[in-house]
Amino acid sequence: MKAATIWNAIKNSLKAIRNGEFLLRIRADKLYMHILYLFLLMWITIFLSLKVDETLTKAGNNRAAIEELEVRHAQKEAALVKLRSASSIQEKLEKMGSATTLPTEPASRIKGRR
Amino acid sequence: MSRNSEIHDTIENRDRIHVVMFFMSIFFFALAVLILVWTVKIQAGFNVDSRVVHLFRPSVQKHVEAPVRGRILATDGRPMAISAPLYDLYMDCTVRKEEFARKGDIEAEQQWRQKARELSRSLSAEFRDRSADDYAQAILGGRDRGSRYLLIKKNVDQTVLQKVLRFPLFCEGSYKGGLIQRRHDERIYPYDSLARRVIGYVKDANRIGLEANFDYELHGTEGYEWRRVTDRKSWIRDLDSSVVRAVDGNDIRTTLNVDFQDIADKALRKQINGDDDIRAGIVIIMEAATGAIRAMVNLSRGDTPQTTLWERENLALRQVGEQGSVMKTVSLLSLVEDGYVKSLEQTIPTNNGAYPNYKQDIHILDYQRETGRRDISVMHGFEISSNYVFTYLAETSYGSHPEDFFDHIYSYRLGEAFDFDISGLASPVVNRPGTKGWSKTTLGTTAYGYGMSVTPLHVATFYNGIANKGRMMKPYLVESVEKDGRVIKQYKPSVLNNICSRNTADTVTRALRSVVETGTATRLKGAKLHVAGKTGTAQVVLSKEERGQGNRDPYHDALGRKKNQGSFVGFFPAENPKYTILVSVYSYLSGKSFYGGTLPALAVRDIVDQLYALDGEWDSSISRSGSVPALRSGVPGTEVKAGKVPDVSGLGLKEALHLVESAGLPCSYEGCGHVTSQSPAAGSELKQGERVKLVLK
Repeated sequence: MKAATIWNAIKNSLKAIRNGEFLLRIRADKLYMHILYLFLLMWITIFLSLKVDETLTKAGNNRAAIEELEVRHAQKEAALVKLRSASSIQEKLEKMGSATTLPTEPASRIKGRR
Repeated sequence: MSRNSEIHDTIENRDRIHVVMFFMSIFFFALAVLILVWTVKIQAGFNVDSRVVHLFRPSVQKHVEAPVRGRILATDGRPMAISAPLYDLYMDCTVRKEEFARKGDIEAEQQWRQKARELSRSLSAEFRDRSADDYAQAILGGRDRGSRYLLIKKNVDQTVLQKVLRFPLFCEGSYKGGLIQRRHDERIYPYDSLARRVIGYVKDANRIGLEANFDYELHGTEGYEWRRVTDRKSWIRDLDSSVVRAVDGNDIRTTLNVDFQDIADKALRKQINGDDDIRAGIVIIMEAATGAIRAMVNLSRGDTPQTTLWERENLALRQVGEQGSVMKTVSLLSLVEDGYVKSLEQTIPTNNGAYPNYKQDIHILDYQRETGRRDISVMHGFEISSNYVFTYLAETSYGSHPEDFFDHIYSYRLGEAFDFDISGLASPVVNRPGTKGWSKTTLGTTAYGYGMSVTPLHVATFYNGIANKGRMMKPYLVESVEKDGRVIKQYKPSVLNNICSRNTADTVTRALRSVVETGTATRLKGAKLHVAGKTGTAQVVLSKEERGQGNRDPYHDALGRKKNQGSFVGFFPAENPKYTILVSVYSYLSGKSFYGGTLPALAVRDIVDQLYALDGEWDSSISRSGSVPALRSGVPGTEVKAGKVPDVSGLGLKEALHLVESAGLPCSYEGCGHVTSQSPAAGSELKQGERVKLVLK
């Protein structure tokens, strides 16, 4: 193939693009549906990819929130457990000026049928 | 001639080429050196432009997931050690400073500084460690100096952190507010010092207690995942790469009872807090039937009495020493088991308390003076803790074959360090025949508690064997290993040895009971549960430095001062032993004497009285003749008809008031408990000015 022929083809193509006739000239209208379908597939792929990212981000945030709640739960549990000890309760009662003390006798148990 | 001239020109040309080549070589060499230096300079001082730095970062990053360390639980599941992150807070004081300066925005800078002052006030109010002015000075001064890492507060927990994140300036995020959080996982001990030596810790090379021994269970396994950045600049898991999830550590359920530990700790503190001569104290409470340790208190002061009592060292496991008279029980058990003592009422001659080669026992002289008798029963010798009686019995029974006596000691596991859940149980020292420490008085001194060194845990284990009718249980601290509340490994009680027959145990228990009733431990006589036990007072062998140069007396220093150990070991209730208890106190060098029948016995009494009130097993019961009001189930509020008196019988006050008031009626009540009667009757209507009256019982 001669160089002049190639040059003419390029020149014609460029002219066709400038005039907006390129797709018609190569008869792309026959493939219109396929092109649309291809674009749809690409759009769906990108959309799903973004949705997956979004879901994983949410999952990550939720995991961080759960972890934070677990930490708060552990710290609260530690604080409450400390308050529950007999000596802590007694100290608080003494500070409040209460006459209530720890029991000196074991709790009575009800035996027999009602 | 012309040929000569040609040759000359050729030589001249060649020299010129050589010179040019030489200079060119120099030039290229210098150029190479320059390029090399330049390259090194670029490499050494390479600083990527911040605008393109992201281009050099990999698109995926490895994220290591740390496991959560397992918890250490008390026997009822209450947590004694848990892991939670704490945060160290720093501040980049220079945040947005350059940005404001570049724009010349003085007003924005002033606003930032105003917010910093407001932040200072909030920080001061929250932490109460510095004034608002101090905080402001530190932050604004830091901004002027260019401080990018100003410490705000260390070890802040999650709750406080959430508050701090709402403070002025910090609420704008780290890029605008400059807050820097450094997270680190810390161990939280909800009960502070309670049982801290038993729980222990793992910190770098320092590893003690259960934390150290069960680290392989508690630690867990690290995990990792690869993360990639999304188009919206958040990091998510990269689904194309592998993920290894972190496995959290297992929980350890101990045998410790928090209430027992609390009571024992408090009782011991009560006895030794006011006495500056006391250096340390120990309490061990062990379940007789299983050997499960329910409490182990190890309180000690530092080198001086001014230091506070704290769980500094595990004396129960490490304090090897002569235990004194509490070891007379060892001798009595052996003598009864071997048949040398057939009855506790059996008598021996008093001999003025003197046995050849041994120190005279002045207790016997007192006894002779008071009673006028020249013989003494084994029981009474045990009650008054006579050294002479036990020397006499040991020498006359085992004098010709002392090995038999020491075989007993080894069978009581008093001659070896047995396996225990915490490492560091010290090995006892027993001077048996043929060893370096053996002398002609070793048998007698060992019989009354000297010449043999053991730990308090050994002693408690031995007494527990008597409490358990001869079956000596192995002491243990860990009940099970658990994962998410499910038991994956169970540790069961095990027998160390059968040390004596049931009859022998009963006989020795009778002697121990007698010590409390009429002997050296009468301070326990009125305890709410009958206690059987033995007191012991021992002098502690001093170190060479404590004794001073030239002083050969192992128990006294140059000023005549000594270190004492006072103990009480026993079990309760004496009739059907449930717990074995040991209390020991140790003194500094002091001129005073401490006896097992004083502070330790008082501590035991406190503990026994409180455990009595705590344990439902020793309760009183109400007979079946008592009537209990019938309770009614149902959802309050469902049976209310406006204006009609609802049926509230059997309900508690809260529910009853809710129902009556839901019907729009006024109400009054008396008594407490549950509603036993109401007026007017259910279903009727209230007259003008009337109110529903409830009686609760």
